Amino acid sequence: MDLKDIKAIIDLMKKNSITEFELEQQDSKLRLKRGLNGGSSASHGDETVPMVPSQTMAAPVISAPTAAPAANTGEIDIKSPMIGTFYRSPSPESASYVDVGSEVNPETVVSIIEAMKVMNEIKSEVKGVVTQVLVENGKPVEFGQPLFKVRPT
Amino acid sequence: MFEKVLVANRGEIAVRIIRACKELNIRTVAVYSEIDANSMHVQMADEAICIGKAASSESYLRIDRIISAAEIADVDAIHPGYGFLSENAHFAEVCESCNIRFIGPQPRAMNALSDKAVSRALAKKAGVDTPPGSEGIVEKEQDALAVAKRIGYPVMIKAVAGGGGRGMRIAHNDISLVKGYHTARTEAEKAFGNSGVYIEKYIENPHHIEIQILGDNKGKIIHLGERDCSIQRRNQKLIEESPSPLLEHKFKKLRDKIGKAAVKIAEAARYTNAGTVEFIVDDHGNYYFLEVNKRIQVEHPVTEEVTGIDLVKAQIEIAMGEPLKYSQGDIEIKGHAIECRINAEDPFDDFRPSPGRIEMYYQPGGRGIRMETHAYAGYTIPPTYDSMIGKLIVTGKDRREAIDRMNRALNEFLITGVKTTISFQQAIMQDPNFRRGVYSTSFVEQLLGGARRELIEEKA
Repeated sequence: MDLKDIKAIIDLMKKNSITEFELEQQDSKLRLKRGLNGGSSASHGDETVPMVPSQTMAAPVISAPTAAPAANTGEIDIKSPMIGTFYRSPSPESASYVDVGSEVNPETVVSIIEAMKVMNEIKSEVKGVVTQVLVENGKPVEFGQPLFKVRPT
Repeated sequence: MFEKVLVANRGEIAVRIIRACKELNIRTVAVYSEIDANSMHVQMADEAICIGKAASSESYLRIDRIISAAEIADVDAIHPGYGFLSENAHFAEVCESCNIRFIGPQPRAMNALSDKAVSRALAKKAGVDTPPGSEGIVEKEQDALAVAKRIGYPVMIKAVAGGGGRGMRIAHNDISLVKGYHTARTEAEKAFGNSGVYIEKYIENPHHIEIQILGDNKGKIIHLGERDCSIQRRNQKLIEESPSPLLEHKFKKLRDKIGKAAVKIAEAARYTNAGTVEFIVDDHGNYYFLEVNKRIQVEHPVTEEVTGIDLVKAQIEIAMGEPLKYSQGDIEIKGHAIECRINAEDPFDDFRPSPGRIEMYYQPGGRGIRMETHAYAGYTIPPTYDSMIGKLIVTGKDRREAIDRMNRALNEFLITGVKTTISFQQAIMQDPNFRRGVYSTSFVEQLLGGARRELIEEKA
């Protein structure tokens, strides 16, 4: 592998919005990682911005914003940490991750939120029992939108 | 034809864009941070999507979240407004690659004018004078000193990635140059992520004259006359007007010359959509190119009032692929317009920002009054963004009428609960030099130094 090949890979990464690339061959290993602000172009008087997630990323696990107690009931809302489409199961044929009555602990995946073709697993972040499912399968959700109510145990 | 547009901004410009969309029968989607939940643009839009916490870096600057919102709302285009992501070529590219039209210049035009040093070089190639200065970025302290020796003091040290009046300092001698050079680089790295600086001759008593341009996607570019934005405080514009009293009274032929120069530069960059080409004009009528603002600007209404052209609608139409409806010969400057930026700042306390809840709000009305704002009685100005309450634009048949009308309008304006710049702007309207049209960018500092507080009466 020579410099020309590496440069070609970098250009391809830029063009396809790929953040990381790793290639292992018999006698060599190459790992390329791009910075966060879209490469070489200078920002224009505005702050630098994070890059769009790439198609090659495996389903990332994203932590929900700090669970807030729901008013008066002692229940906690699991809120959406991102904008996208809410799915209750890993695929259309599978069963839902959780239902009303399901026991969850902080690491339990409760839903998928899909944005830009990337499926993001949403964790419960709290230990308890699901008392309400607040969003219908396949509906869009916004940042901070409550997804489930959980009675903490 | 766009069915739906997402407005990737907030405050008064988001309201402006939503209004233009409504008049074009386009549905609107607002995005907002948690602290902006009660903001006017959220109320006015057909749909609204929360995209994060208050900090801009967690919301209005989050390309991923804005694109996600655009996808779930299924929009055809995004209008970026000004500031935030409006001049971010990467954002424009991401929009296009997601099949969402970006209402602004095409990415390749943004890249052709990617920073101030690159733009200077392009202007020079197009045959337009730039202030004497360095060829591109100054890499070493010795180079800075050499440039200053060649062009003579005083000089300006400017960040190539700076904008909105930020990232500039003056040096009057070698000692302040060396100190300023290093400080400027550190500050630029922190503020813009790019430590590149270049050096330009500082032109004494400069007049800031900018030209509004519009270009369609077929390569036709026209200019819509000038705006004089010399009334600034610490490089932040306070008052803008069109036409420029300097050009009207002293250098009438310059409008055409500077306008043509602006169009030449835009053509060299193959610019599309709305933009502003900034120039510095000295007291002898020499003009020098400064930079191109690749977005709709805060003070665009001033041009709209004297030309009769809706610039935001034009932006949307150009983005939809329509050819420019006007030719250069169709553009006429009629009457006189002045804009005052009404900020929540205390002019008696060094313009300290004054966020908080607006208690009473009564805005001026009557003939020739246009108010662009998101504010209302009971609205709380958050501390996380700029301090602008709104823009008061006044039009008259000539400059005298516009000034008197602005003075009348500022007098009617009632805002309680926060401090505002209204009383200061009234003092400017009553200032004899301003009324004569004799002022440069040193005007405000001189006015503040002259302690004209006796003219200002603060409302209870």
